[in-house]
Parts: sequence; C-alpha cells; structure tokens
Amino acid sequence: MKRHPCHYLLAILLSLAALPGLAGDLVVSAAASLTNAFKDIAEHYEAKHPDAKVLLNFAASGTLLQQIAKGAPVDVFASADQETMDMAEAQGLVANAQRRDFARNALVLVVPADSAIEIAALGDLAQGAVRRVAIGNPASVPAGRYAGRALEQAGLATALQGKLINTQNVRQALDYVARGEVEAGFVYATDARLMADKVKVALEVPLDIAISYPIAAIGISSSENASSEKAASAAEATRFIDFVLSPEGQAVLDNHGFARP
Amino acid sequence: MDDASSTDASATDAALIDVDIRKTLGSGKRQFRLAVAFSSRCQRIVIIGPSGGGKSLTLKAIAGLMTPEQGRIQLAGTTLFDTRSSIDLAPQARRVAFLFQDYALFPHLNVRQNIGFGLSRHWLNPGADSGCPEVDYWLDAFNLAPVAHQFPHQLSGGQRQRTALARALVLQPRALLLDEPFAAVDPLLRIRMRTELDELQRRLSVPMIVITHDPLDAEVLGDQVFYLQDGVITDSGEGWPGAGRG
Amino acid sequence: MSAAMDPVWTALALSLKVAGWATAITLVLGTAVGYMLARWRFPLRDLLDSLLTLPIVLPPTVLGYYLLVMLGRRGWLGAWLHDNLGINLIFTWQGAVIAASVVAFPLVFKPARAAFEAVDGQLEQAAQVLGLSGAKIFFRVTLPLAWRGILAGMLLAFARALGEFGATLMIAGSIPGHTQTLSIAVYEAVQAGQDDVANRLVLITSVVCVTVLLAAGRLMPGQVANRRDGDRG
Repeated sequence: MKRHPCHYLLAILLSLAALPGLAGDLVVSAAASLTNAFKDIAEHYEAKHPDAKVLLNFAASGTLLQQIAKGAPVDVFASADQETMDMAEAQGLVANAQRRDFARNALVLVVPADSAIEIAALGDLAQGAVRRVAIGNPASVPAGRYAGRALEQAGLATALQGKLINTQNVRQALDYVARGEVEAGFVYATDARLMADKVKVALEVPLDIAISYPIAAIGISSSENASSEKAASAAEATRFIDFVLSPEGQAVLDNHGFARP
Repeated sequence: MDDASSTDASATDAALIDVDIRKTLGSGKRQFRLAVAFSSRCQRIVIIGPSGGGKSLTLKAIAGLMTPEQGRIQLAGTTLFDTRSSIDLAPQARRVAFLFQDYALFPHLNVRQNIGFGLSRHWLNPGADSGCPEVDYWLDAFNLAPVAHQFPHQLSGGQRQRTALARALVLQPRALLLDEPFAAVDPLLRIRMRTELDELQRRLSVPMIVITHDPLDAEVLGDQVFYLQDGVITDSGEGWPGAGRG
Repeated sequence: MSAAMDPVWTALALSLKVAGWATAITLVLGTAVGYMLARWRFPLRDLLDSLLTLPIVLPPTVLGYYLLVMLGRRGWLGAWLHDNLGINLIFTWQGAVIAASVVAFPLVFKPARAAFEAVDGQLEQAAQVLGLSGAKIFFRVTLPLAWRGILAGMLLAFARALGEFGATLMIAGSIPGHTQTLSIAVYEAVQAGQDDVANRLVLITSVVCVTVLLAAGRLMPGQVANRRDGDRG
C-alpha cells in the first residue's frame, strides 16, 4: 500500500486537465501564502478577459518547483522567495529576463488568540512555557527558510531545535497555531490577518533581507519549436503576469495585506 | 405399562427423567410452540416423531443448550432447570453427554485429543500424544487405538461416532442424549451400529435418551417411547406397536 | 550534519515501531470486536459493523481531520486528556500509532468476524457440554479454528499501518526521529528535491514490504501451496 507523494498525482491530474488543450486555460502555481490573493486576482482577470480560464494550484514553493521540474504543465509560477525562483532558473525552467518581483511580505510570529505567554522578542521563545513552535519545513517552504534565517541570526537556532515542528506549508503552521496545538508559529503577516479571531501577532520577525515574491512564466525561454499552441500559452502567461503587476492587480494584493515590490 | 406425562409427585420421585417445558420460537405465522411434558422411570427412552416436531429442541433443553421460557427439568434426582425456583444449571454443570447428529468432533484435534478434551480443564488442549488411563481405556474399548493419531476428517462414519461417544463417556455422564444418531448412516451400517449402541448401553447401564424419526430405532433402543409432533407429546408406550421388545 | 543514511534508518525504525504497535493494538481489539459481532445478536449490530468499517472507506485525510479535531488540544477528548492527565497526542509517535490503528482496524476486524462466523457453533456447544467455560472454549476451540483468517487480516493491517500517510501527517506532523515515518520521509525528500534520499527510502520500504509478503506466504502455506500441489498433479 504505497502512497505516492501528492504532487506526482497532481502532476498527472494537471496533465490530464491540459489534454483537451483549451486555448484559454492558464495553469498558475502560486505559493500557499498567495491563496486568497491570487483567487481574487484570478477572478478579476477572468472578468476582464472573458475568454480566459485560470487554473490555480497552491502549495509550498518548493513543492511547486518539484512539480514543475518533474514535468507538470504549469504556465506561471509565483514563488514566496527568490531562492526557489533561483533554483527554477538554475534548472532552466525560467529565463532570467522573464522573472519580475510583484509583492513583498513580512514575517511575523503568531500565538493563539487566548495565549497568556509573554513573547516580546524572539529570545522569549526559549522559555519553558513555549513547548512547540510551528515553522514551515525549511527544505521546501520559504516561510520556514526566512524564519530559520532569523533564528540563526539571533543565535537561537540550536536552543530552539527541539521545539520546532516542521509543517508542509505556511498555512499549516497557521492552522496549528489557531488550534492551539503549538504555542507559537512563524507565518506571513498576510496569513495572520486571515485568522485574526484565532491568532494574534506577537512580533514582527526582524530579517536582514526583504521577503520578495517573484513571478515568472514557465518554459517560454526553451521553446525552440514554438507551436501555435505554445505561443498562445506564452502570450497568455505574459498577459497574466502583466495583470498582476498592473495597478488593478497590485490593488488586489494591497487589499490582502501585501506590500509593493 | 405406566402412562407417561404424569405430574403426580409420587411418580416423579422415582422417575429418571421428568420434563415439563414451554417455549415459543419465531413470531407471527412462523411461530412454533413447544410444550413438552413427559416423565419416565425407564433407562432407555426414545422420542420419535416427524422432522420439525421439536425433538431436537427438547433434547437441547435437557442438555442446557436451549433455555425454555417456563418449566422444569429433573434428571436422575437432580433439578437441572426450574423457573419457579430460578434454577438453570449451565451446560457445563449438568454432566450429561450430548451427541450431535454430525458428531461435532473438533477438526483441529486428533482422536486421542478429542476424547481427552473434557478431562483437561486447562487453557490449552491436551498434547497430540497425551495419554491417560481413561482415554486409553476408551480407545481400546471402541477399537480406536489404531487411529488414535488421525484427525476427524480421516475417519469413517462409524469411527467418528465412536470417537464422539468415547469423548462423552470418558466424563462419566449422568445420561446419554443422542440426536438422531444414525441419520447420516446408510441402512446396512445402521443395523450394526444400532445393535452396538444397544449392547453398549446395556453394558454400561448409563441412562439414554435417543431422538429419531426411524421406528426401528425405537424398537431396538426404547424401553419407553414418546411420540412428539408439533411441539407436544401425543402418545407414548412401551416399545412400539407390534414390536414387543423391552 | 551526517550523511543521508541516518534519516533513512531513523525513519525505518520509527515506521516499524509505529506499525508494530498499531498492529498489536488492532489485533487485540479487532479480534475481540470481531468475536463479539460474530457471536452476539443485538439490534444495532449491522450499524455498528458499518461504523467500524468506515475507516476503510473514508479518505485518510478525512480521518486525520476527525482525529485532529477529537484529539487536539481543544478537542473534546484531547482537552480532557491534557487537562486531567497532562497527555498530548498531537506531534507524538503515540499519535501516529493512533492514526495507523484507526485506519488498520477494519482490516483485522472484518476478517476476524468472518473467521469466527465460519467456526461451527455446534463445536462451541459441544465444548460447553463437555464442561469447559466460555473463555477456555475461545482459546481451545474457536481461536485455533479462526486464527488463519485473523492472521491474514493482521498482515494486511501491518502493511496498511506501515504505509499510513494522510492521517499521520495531520496529527503527528513530520518530526524526524519522532513521527517522520518512511512514507512521510519519502514525501518530504521528494518535495525538497532530495531524490537520492528518496530513492534510498523507497528501496528500504520496498524491501520491508516484500519481506512481509514472503513471511505471509510461509505462515499461510495453505493459500500459497495449493497451486504448487496442483502442478505436481
């Protein structure tokens, strides 16, 4: 009874979805933290371009990269950090000229809304009352990488090692905090406001780098035999990315708490 | 010469068996009412009747495998069941031997283990080779020693019945209850087995109650015969009309 | 940071521990419940049977969610456990055992019930008349005749527990050395692009599963040997 990793199944399903080859279908893989914002953007986009159909796929950026690398038919990739996009570039999946930064975010430490534990600085996580801290798996979740970086800079990485609970994506970390299964968790500011009734922000995590989200079209660079279908997809992808960067797209991102790129 | 179904106190004092039970099974159109009452001083009793008449139920009630709704069962001076005094001995405690139609031998145990089954009160079955005087005695008495290590499915019909009998007799039961002992046996073999059973019972003088639908069984094995149909005893007699053995 | 072999053996040891405990628990519970439903008649028997079979039908993530809601710190059972006994099951290997047990339970219970129902009731009655009490009858008559069917179910349960992923991920998380079982380790290795680690994990898991299958074939020669005997003619 083997269980295949979900994204293989997803890759197969996406391939099947692409088989009919409807010209208007655009497959967009976006980081988990963009779930609400991109659903909104897709709605606006489809309203503006009635012939277009956007298929959204959300997961941790690292997971999305693996899907694309293994051949999933994705047109647009929006990642939560530059590092994942760098890896995509290194694997020849995107061309440098194609990637654009479209939003910024902040990393925060959240605690359950009814928590009585005092946390004013990262160092407070070392206290005994804090037994578990949710963090995205740094191997595949950008939010986890950012958090790990912050902890390392604060010299707390070793001290907190036993308390860190790795999650599959940033939304799972948020969920664990909301349920009270962990005393604290690292999520984006945009995620925290989604569950304002169940979690509260303890502090904004100091980082030396900006949390910047890049977006790029997949595969445009490597189209040697640019069939009409591929050209159409490429044009659609570009049109979508332009929309995300347009004032209308940016306004939607603002509404969801993202900062300008 | 005694009339059966007597509930007179003085008669039941000396009776081997005294049964008076009632039970209703099923519901609506398919209801079956059992209302059996009989008593006897004889050591060899046969209950005969058509299929579905309640013979098996009655025998099971005596063994404790079926609980009547009302009534009383007395066997050899001991009250096994009495609703008025709230007595209901568990089958384990009744010390009667019940032989099923298809013998109910334990398929995972050999002949020796089957016979010795009731002698051992442990959590594990007796070993394949375990011997003790009682088991050996019955193996010899029934000529089963050559097949002592075989399993039930390897035995002939006659051997199976003897094994089942030995298994019951080794515990020195108060009475032998046999449920259609020759139903699955062909007519020729039936004659021989009937005779053997007859001789065995006389030799051991253990009280025996046989239920059957074959009149010849009643002839050979019954000192007193009860006729059971549709849940009630409708007739009784010594031997069977025209037979005269007893 | 040691070589990739370390996480592999850790995951294997943990998987075997979790699957082992889950199999033991479901063996005892599944056999007991299978016996009860085989022998006792009561009005809601079929409904209870369906409820107990549900984990086979429900998607593991649905089961995981139910368990999370029940056993989480705010769940009705989890809160009680936490407040009264200081026990927290989420993110622990015990939680992983519970997830694996829930999904594997029907795989023991259903064959057990069928196996017990196949044992002739008359044999148990015969044992009663021969003087044995209920529990002894179970161990000397019923169980020896039913154990093959139960064993078959137990091996299925072990395989299922070993491969459990969805429910385990939800309530036990993926903590290396504590709850990161083989299935989860494979998932994460692939997500992180660590194909070499993934390959090693998959190889180990396959070897374990094939070994279990071979052992099953040995223990139940009846099922496997029939074909061979037929060939010999």
